[in-house]
Amino acid sequence: MPTLFPTDMLDGLIKTGGSCRVNVNVKPGFAPGDAVTAININPKTHTRLPTYIRGKRGVVMRDHGAFVFPDTNSQLKGEKPQHVYSVMFEAGELWGDAEFPKDKVLIDMFEDYLKPVEGK
Amino acid sequence: MAADHDHHHHDEYRPSEISLRVKAIESLLVEKKLLDPVAVDKLVDAYENKIGPHNGARVVAKAWSDPEYRKRLLGDGTKAILELGYSGIQGEDMVVVENTPEVHNMVVCTLCSCYPWPTLGLPPNWYKAPPYRSRAVIDPRGVLKEFGVELPKTKEVRVWDSNAELRYLVLPERPAGTEGLSEEELAKLVTRDSMIGVGLPKTPN
Amino acid sequence: MNGIHDLGGRHGHGPIDIDPEQPVFRSDSERRTFGMFILAFAGGHFNVDQFRSAIEQMKPAEYLESTYYEHWLHALETLCVENGTLTKKELDDRFEALSKGTH
Repeated sequence: MPTLFPTDMLDGLIKTGGSCRVNVNVKPGFAPGDAVTAININPKTHTRLPTYIRGKRGVVMRDHGAFVFPDTNSQLKGEKPQHVYSVMFEAGELWGDAEFPKDKVLIDMFEDYLKPVEGK
Repeated sequence: MAADHDHHHHDEYRPSEISLRVKAIESLLVEKKLLDPVAVDKLVDAYENKIGPHNGARVVAKAWSDPEYRKRLLGDGTKAILELGYSGIQGEDMVVVENTPEVHNMVVCTLCSCYPWPTLGLPPNWYKAPPYRSRAVIDPRGVLKEFGVELPKTKEVRVWDSNAELRYLVLPERPAGTEGLSEEELAKLVTRDSMIGVGLPKTPN
Repeated sequence: MNGIHDLGGRHGHGPIDIDPEQPVFRSDSERRTFGMFILAFAGGHFNVDQFRSAIEQMKPAEYLESTYYEHWLHALETLCVENGTLTKKELDDRFEALSKGTH
């Protein structure tokens, strides 16, 4: 519902912001150390799973807790809170013939973007 | 003359078109009592004049000076940064990543422009534009070269793509020859680019 | 969506324009657009995911050729019309009036 944001609340807004963290008890499906694959989805709607990560294999480094899921929230289809993990991918895995294959890309993956590595 | 100018525009009328569109939407929202223009003024003042990388520089200087603070910063970035009074919009969930002799960190948002505002202020234009966003993840060392940084081949580069709502700050390595400097003096060495990971801190003199 | 914004790993976008002396805002249009976005967001006009989604749906060539805050302006206009706050006609009429100096 569009409203006028009160100017006297501005200092508070700047200091507090609006975290997308959701304090609900959602059971995490993954843990640090897990080998995971980014799923290959190609939704026509908003997602925060970039093309360059899809189908690639990485390792979960950290569980950040549960956050609002942008894929559904952008469509006003609900917050669907789920865990976000920092997942590490090697340059060689992402780019094939990388000059420095052991350099890394770390990206934040929502639970729905991940599946265990094939065959495990 | 209208200062909307961006160097890749070929149409000289385009800048004033943008200016009119902005005035149109603002005047309508104000008339419908959905926007207070004074609030716009205050927000602009906050982010143009008050909030900036000098904030993050203090965080880094403290981490360099105080090993216990450094531990807290790396363990819970949001909480430790708040100890210095910094928090809020686009910094609600902070992660601080440390540069070491083995690892150099770099932060990007390939999908848009996500950046830790409370510690670094608003991002520079290059951070938000296609050249950096496209190349940081596939050619970080090439990007670093453009910024004048050459890393040894033995160092590992870690690029953090801020695609969710976590915001990342790089804790650069403390430069040599800074023993005995106060936090205030140390903060002066910490550049914005070193906290994004495309630069290194200044060395004393 | 597999849109133009999904830039990670793409080639051909040229050198980085570092411009070390650049100001926070290059024009009043950028200032006002910035402030309007924050206030509209805080006022519940849209959520941040809708905002990003609107930008991603810009025409690819326009996305690449326009400035960062023009993306924000596009999203603001689009979402205000989508949520019924404004109509396209109101925006166009006001634009016309401002350009003629009659508003």
